[in-house]
Amino acid sequence: MQEVKYLIVGGGAAGTGAAETIRSQDKESTIAIISDEPHRFYSRILLSKPNFFLEKIPFAQVWLKTEEWYRQNNIVFWGGKKAVGLDPHAKTVSLDDGTAIRYGKLLLAIGGSARPWGIPGSQKQGIFYLRTLDDAKAIIHAVKGARRGVAIGGGFIGFEMCEMMCLAGMETTILIREPYFWANLLDETSGQMIEASLAKNGITISRNAQAREVLGNERVEELLLSDGKKISCDIAVVGIGLTCPFDWIGAAGVMVDRAIITNEYLETNVRDVWAAGDAAEFNDLVTGERIQLGNWVNAQMQGKAAARNMMGKKEAFRMVSFYTTQGFDLKIAFVGNVRPAPDHNVISRGSKEIASYARLISKNGKLIGATLINRTQELGAIAKLIERGVDVSGKPNQLSDPNSNLNALLS
Amino acid sequence: MAENKKIAKIVVNRDLCIGAASCITIAGEVFELDGENKAVMLLKSGQRNSGPALKNDLVNESVSDETILSAAQSCPTKAILLYDDEGNQIYP
Repeated sequence: MQEVKYLIVGGGAAGTGAAETIRSQDKESTIAIISDEPHRFYSRILLSKPNFFLEKIPFAQVWLKTEEWYRQNNIVFWGGKKAVGLDPHAKTVSLDDGTAIRYGKLLLAIGGSARPWGIPGSQKQGIFYLRTLDDAKAIIHAVKGARRGVAIGGGFIGFEMCEMMCLAGMETTILIREPYFWANLLDETSGQMIEASLAKNGITISRNAQAREVLGNERVEELLLSDGKKISCDIAVVGIGLTCPFDWIGAAGVMVDRAIITNEYLETNVRDVWAAGDAAEFNDLVTGERIQLGNWVNAQMQGKAAARNMMGKKEAFRMVSFYTTQGFDLKIAFVGNVRPAPDHNVISRGSKEIASYARLISKNGKLIGATLINRTQELGAIAKLIERGVDVSGKPNQLSDPNSNLNALLS
Repeated sequence: MAENKKIAKIVVNRDLCIGAASCITIAGEVFELDGENKAVMLLKSGQRNSGPALKNDLVNESVSDETILSAAQSCPTKAILLYDDEGNQIYP
């Protein structure tokens, strides 16, 4: 049986960052990455960007490590193999090809998978998800011959796909199950700003809309909605969230909930097993909550932090993370913890009328998160306010006045 | 990449920058986003722009080369370019 000191499942931002960190400090130990994708480390964040789809950004820009990098750093990359079993007593991970690998320390950086649509007909050609490089290649190819497209889901994939299809000259519709765009994380004002921008660019928005069936022979021709309405289309891109494929991990006795549960050191409840990135649900020291994040910066920094702890350090992970996107005339950013909860207080800053609107989210007098539309220049200051735990409870006017300088609250 | 070279000049390629803001997480005293969601550097002159900027002109000129290099390496589009004092590109 193969034996590896540091075994990493997942070749994305968290897994690769971890391997790089270990190798920078330990030139001797064996390190291996198992990835269910055949490709070496690439920029997943670039995949949904319209300019990448429309090939305005050279395709080669997607690669973040060369093949030589793995060789030079003596990091073994087993691509196209799926981990399917974990035995924490024997300290082995088994793969779908029947082989097993013994580990000293194990990092689960398995990321998430696109949540399947699951309606009748959704296996037909022309229905796409966007999670992997191969998904993106398939969409790039399909866009060239398509005239009408539908984006499914009012979140960031839906938003970016709308712009991509619009720029590609397609007649574009977006189906949103909720009453307004991004309703699970944003308020109605923010949602309306996004919808106004989509509508101005000729995109048809279908709210409170649920697709019931995909119609067509081999290929999608129409989407049948619950209210009986039909939408003709050549392609549909489904962006309705992520699921973490962790049944095999839970079966091994590792605690899982929305994702793999870790403490602030990114350790799971099982000895010598860590988790990082989209697949980790961790104790967030900044907000005092247990959260799971699906973003690039978090994945990368958690991979590095987990790696240091796997090498024997005891460093708590502490970071305010961001997610940003842009499209049409909008720049949207999420900072920190933006999930609604009863004890989170929201202060509005700016308005739809001035096309610049933020929501500052606090808990017990301290900022824990923010959503920003066309105010991304405030992201740095807000992150610092969150990071430093500045008490903002007596400053409602400074927080709500869009012309006040948030940096002033830092001093 | 010549990691032992000293960083003298920093440039953000605005065409590549997608505002992922990983540089701000790592080096928030050097980088910020501007109103176009692009990374800019905080300069002593009070200006904020994407450069080219000399390291000596940064508000926080004492920032370590290691921090700037980590910020550049964290960028998912490799939009941060680093040069030594002879003008040679040292990253990416």
